This record gives sequence, structure tokens and C-alpha cells, in this order.
Amino acid sequence: MSWQVIEKDGQKIRVAVHRDKRGTWISHQGIVTLVANDSGRQKSKQAENIIEAPMTGKIVSIEVEPGEQVEEGVVLIIMEAMKMEYRLKAPIAGQVDKVQCEAGELVDLGKTLVSLK
Amino acid sequence: MKVLVANRGEIACRIFKSLRQEEMQSVAIYAPDETEAEHTLMADVAIALQGERPYLNGEQILSIAKENKVDAIHPGYGYLSENAEFAEQCLEAGITFIGPSAEAMRLLGNKAKARALAESQNIPVVPGAQACQSVEQAQELAQSLTYPLLLKAAAGGGGKGMRLVQDAKALPQGFAAAQHEALNAFGDDQVLLEQWIHPARHIEVQILSDGENVIALGERECSLQRRYQKIVEESPAPGANDELRQKLFDAAKTIVKAAAYKNAGTVEFLVGPNNDFYFLEVNTRLQVEHPVSEYCFGVDLVAWQLAIAQGAQIDFEPQSNGHAIEVRINAEAPYSGFLPQSGDVAHLDWPNHPFVRIDTGVREGNQISSHYDPMIAKMIAWGDTRTQAIARLKGALQQTTILGVETNQTFLLDVLEQEFFTQGQTFTTTIEEKSWERPQIDEDILAQIPTGQGVHTKSSGQQEQASPFTTLNGFRVGP
Repeated sequence: MSWQVIEKDGQKIRVAVHRDKRGTWISHQGIVTLVANDSGRQKSKQAENIIEAPMTGKIVSIEVEPGEQVEEGVVLIIMEAMKMEYRLKAPIAGQVDKVQCEAGELVDLGKTLVSLK
Repeated sequence: MKVLVANRGEIACRIFKSLRQEEMQSVAIYAPDETEAEHTLMADVAIALQGERPYLNGEQILSIAKENKVDAIHPGYGYLSENAEFAEQCLEAGITFIGPSAEAMRLLGNKAKARALAESQNIPVVPGAQACQSVEQAQELAQSLTYPLLLKAAAGGGGKGMRLVQDAKALPQGFAAAQHEALNAFGDDQVLLEQWIHPARHIEVQILSDGENVIALGERECSLQRRYQKIVEESPAPGANDELRQKLFDAAKTIVKAAAYKNAGTVEFLVGPNNDFYFLEVNTRLQVEHPVSEYCFGVDLVAWQLAIAQGAQIDFEPQSNGHAIEVRINAEAPYSGFLPQSGDVAHLDWPNHPFVRIDTGVREGNQISSHYDPMIAKMIAWGDTRTQAIARLKGALQQTTILGVETNQTFLLDVLEQEFFTQGQTFTTTIEEKSWERPQIDEDILAQIPTGQGVHTKSSGQQEQASPFTTLNGFRVGP
């Protein structure tokens, strides 16, 4: 993290900047922007077959098994967070390659849950 | 008095502050992954818990309490705070449970019993709200109500499994779906059918009772919610006039007296478009948003809880002054369905303003993990007027820096600036009915910050579209 002082129209502005694997976080006057890394963005485009946890939460159930053929839109995993249920669906059609989570498990944002091939 | 705080995070820290000021001894308990958490470091003694979900392990907590010869246990909110069995076990062990009696908790904690108690005291309740076993039964009940109606899981809470039914034609299908959801979510397919109150405000009364004297420390409006959880709370309620306020105070005091309730508590109401109000429930504990009332009434509610537990009498007439507003700063993604976030709080910088209070249990470098609540802090501002309180809260939010984990800071600031908010037009569905767009840092400023993209050219609005949320469906129904 660093504070950077920049100038705009004669005004000196202090901005907080933090870089991590997701990108560059910038905070100014209560507004926070995350500028994603180039590399991060490309990865997410290529990785349509990887289903990651879109949030922090609990795995309620796993609806598919490795080897199973799934259509696009089929529910793969049911997660729960903030007392609400979410259905993670297959973004593409394919075969379930690996299931990398268990029912009842608490997972953090970004963890790989299922991969398709 | 020596008090064990059976909680963690900001509320444990909050209670330790009062214990220190009241010159009482304190004992903290902590989970294996919280050896250096803020609450662990604030007590005179900190004892390690073992096993899974340790803050819910009443047996273990009681044995620590006995070993350390504590006089009382403060449960905070959540965890064991509304567990009547635990309150009973404390009593049997000769330890004071800082809260109401197990009997009062059982009576008010059960929604059906609490509702019956309110009705017996002539306090209005939401029409309907009866368990239906079959579609036929639901259709019969629906005849005495006016569409749209609300279906919800009898065993539910937090908005899960709620479903709005627009007309009689949609009832059979809606009922079947609600039953299915209730069974999946709670293992119980009982469904309640009730009148949908819309637009509604959520207004609650803070009460304090020593068993004989019951006082109302004003009301709080907590209408602004997302996923049925409050994010902005204030007192006095912009949606209440003096007449309604008095009716709510009277109703709250009546129900609390009828339950022989002792300690601090909150009576929640739904207020409809014609100042019609309906009893919802009693929270038999300290509430997250209690600082709002503390600011307006100049009292320390935790200190009063401690005093009442030691037999003190309430000896003052509550006097309110000014306006206070609280926002909950959560690790969540407000522009992607408010999904909880986790990660390391790499940078944390709080402002220090007169009339702004920050209650937190998080320090810079701490991890926000999936094991606990995603709330990072509560920020509360007080002002002579509502306008002044809003300005102070905005100023403090603008000077807060939290980096490394996404939070709703920017969103809260956006809410405080909306016309509906400054005009007090706040209803339980306001947040979700509006479409929100992420405010961006000025392009001229962004352009001067080197990022991983080399030179930053365009704001990162497209991030949201590229995220996996497009394949995500929350079941989010009802109002």
C-alpha cells in the first residue's frame, strides 16, 4: 500500500493505492476502484471451464459427479451465503472433469470448485 | 463483577470497552484461528476454545466460565444470545446470564407464541401468517386477505424461501414452490401465508427493563436492507410522526411487560403506507444497531445491561437529543448481488471526527474469512439534525480507506447521497427496486496512477460483466 499525491487543476490529491494479484486497488474520497491486471483478465476469459466460488460461503450440495456430461445452464453446485441460496450453473456444455469441494465446506471467494472439459 | 464475553468481533470489543469503563474484570474466548484477533487482545484474560464452531459450544464456554470463576456471561448478539437452554444452564451453574430469563426468551423467541402474545394485548400483527398444510387451506385463508400475498417458510428466517403471489391464479404454483424451497432449506415444508405490506418501513423500539420499570429509548428506522439484512439504521425514524412513535412505544412496553422481560431488548414493527403498524418480533438481546440509540439518548446500553444484571433499577427519564445514523461496512460486492467477499485487509485507515463513532473488531492485516460474518465495522454519526448527521457520516466515509478486500463503502456513500435518502423516503424494498451503478474515481485521477495495465485508459466498468455472476441465480423472491 502506498499513498500517492497527484495534482489536478492545482489541487493536491492524496490517493491510496494497493497492488495485489487481482490488480490495483485505488481509493479516493470513499470511492474504491479495482483495476484488474491484464493477466488476470485474460485468465478469466480462457477459464470458462473452471467454476470458481463467486463469493465466500458454504457448499450446500454438489449436483454433479466427475465424468457426467452436462448441458450449458445445468446446476453444478448449490452454495449458501448470507442465508440465501445460489445455484452455480455450467457456463458451457461439457464433461465434469474434477469436483474440488465437499458439501458442507466453507469456501473463500475465488476457490476452484468444479472443472469441465 | 467478572464477566466472560461469549462472542467475537466488533460486539465483543464493544462489550470489553464498557467492562473496562465500569472497572469490571473481563474474560475473552477465542477460536483457534483468532489467537490474535482484536477481541482476544482486549480482555484481562483470553481463553482458547477448541473444536468446530466453538462460539456455539455452550458446554465448553460454561466450563471455561466455571474454571475462571466468572460471575456473569454476556452473550453479545448472534451465537448463544437467544438460546434459552444456554441461559438456563448458566443459571444452574450459578452464573448470571446477561439477558432475559429463559422463560421470557422462549416466549418471545418463538414467532407463533410471540404473535399470540401480541394479539392477546391488542397489538396489531400482520394479517394471515398462518401455517398452511395444503393449497386448499392457503386458498381459504387467502379469501380473508388482499392480494398480493406473501408465502414464507414457517421455519425460516432472513428472507429465505419467501415468495410473492400476485393473484389467486398464481397461488397454487407459488405455494408448491414455497413448500419445496422450505423443505430444501429447512427440512420442514410448513409454509405461512400472510398479507404483503407495501411499501413498508421497518421501525423498531429500543427498550430497557429492570423487571419493574420499562422505558423506551426511542425508535430506530432500519428500512434500508439488502437480502433482508439491514445496512443503514437511524434514530429518530424519518418515517414516524409523534403519534405513531407513541403508539409504537406503548405497544413495545406492553409486550415486554406481558412477557416479564428484563434487560435490553428490541421490539420490531412493520409500518405500512397509512401509518398502520404491525408487530413483527422481539429480539431478546443487544442489537447490532444499538449505538444509534446510545448516541441519541446519551446512555451506554451495555453498562445498563451489566447494571440490571446486578439488580440496579432504572432511575431516569429517557431524553432524546439530535439524530444518529449508522452504516454497516461489510466485505461484500454490492454491484454483484451483494455477495460476501473474503481476503486480507491490506490497508485500513479510519477517520477521527468529532461525533463519529466506529465500532470494529478488525485491524489492518486481519483476514476476513468465510468462517465469520463479513461485517468489518459499524460507522455511526450524530448531529443536531438529520442533515447534519448525514453530512458527518458522509465526511467520515469519504476519509475511510479499506483496501485488499471489496467492501460496500462506495455503495453506502452513494446511498447517503441519493435524493430518496436525504428526503427520508426509505422503505424495505428501496435498495433492490433501484438500479445501482458503481461510482468511479475521476478519470483524470485514475490516469495518473500506474496500474497493472500499464497506462489506465478506461474505467473498469466491464469487470462486472466479465465476472461469473452472469451464471449465478440467487433465489430471491418476495418483497
